[in-house]
Amino acid sequence: MSRHSAINRFGRSANPAFSRGFENFAESLPLSERMTLDGAVNKTGILLALCFGGACVGWNIPALMIPAGITGFILALVTIFRSKEKAGTTAPFYALAQGILLGGITFMYESAFEGIAIQAIGLTFGILASLLVCYKSGLIKPTENFRLMVAAGVGGIMILYLVSFVMSFFGSGISLLSPTNGSLMSIGLSLGIVCVASCCLVLDFDFIEEGAERGMPKYMEWYGAFSLMVTLIWLYLEILRLIAKIRSR
Amino acid sequence: MNTIFFSLLAIFSLFIFMNLGKIKASKKQMDRDDRINWGGRQNRNVSRKKNDGKIIEGEAEEVDDQSKK
Repeated sequence: MSRHSAINRFGRSANPAFSRGFENFAESLPLSERMTLDGAVNKTGILLALCFGGACVGWNIPALMIPAGITGFILALVTIFRSKEKAGTTAPFYALAQGILLGGITFMYESAFEGIAIQAIGLTFGILASLLVCYKSGLIKPTENFRLMVAAGVGGIMILYLVSFVMSFFGSGISLLSPTNGSLMSIGLSLGIVCVASCCLVLDFDFIEEGAERGMPKYMEWYGAFSLMVTLIWLYLEILRLIAKIRSR
Repeated sequence: MNTIFFSLLAIFSLFIFMNLGKIKASKKQMDRDDRINWGGRQNRNVSRKKNDGKIIEGEAEEVDDQSKK
């Protein structure tokens, strides 16, 4: 039974299960300690600024790319699985570390394909804004089925990345993922991955919106901003790869 | 020209995100029965309460039998 149909059936305030389960945050926390949309957006802005700062460092010192990538990966795992409450501390360092990694990767792509960086940045933010407009207006309505489909897509892509990563140790890899592979199949796969990453953005918007509506604790602003950053970084990397493939044709 | 277009796109999109992001989503988006329940644990509470309700119905029938005796 979905949350809203349950509320319609049992009533909003009469059933203690709902007042404890769904509405508790808004009632138990003072206003200043509740998650807000303003806070989540501002914190995303801070993380983006840190990411850009890190990218400038990574662009000039590409040697820092690998240690920064590993640090960012560990910080992401810690934030997701260990301490959401500490997202305010880990998320800025994550953004900085991933910024350094993105700066190095972008530098490598830019040396092979001139002008690719600004194209990827423009398209990433363009997708972010257009999907936000679609979400806020109700044009895209994320449901449980939508979430399941996206989760299945992300799971499949992660397995593909893992297989490619393992194969790279044996001197080969999945050629479809290669940025220099300009075949239609390869471009189609990249387009599919970009679509799945874009759908993840919609889920992030919904998570932040519901968190603010339910008055979740303040640290969830950082967590929401962090999850948006993870998706944006993935989307940016995939768009870089897609443009590189198209330009390789 | 290419660089200018994509730079403007990025700046304009960021401006939209920073402003529109702070506005609450439309009623069409928020007032739906099929919204995602991000607090998964609460769903189990709902189903448990639903089952509790069925048990209470059974007990009510037993009370009726005793009162007849």
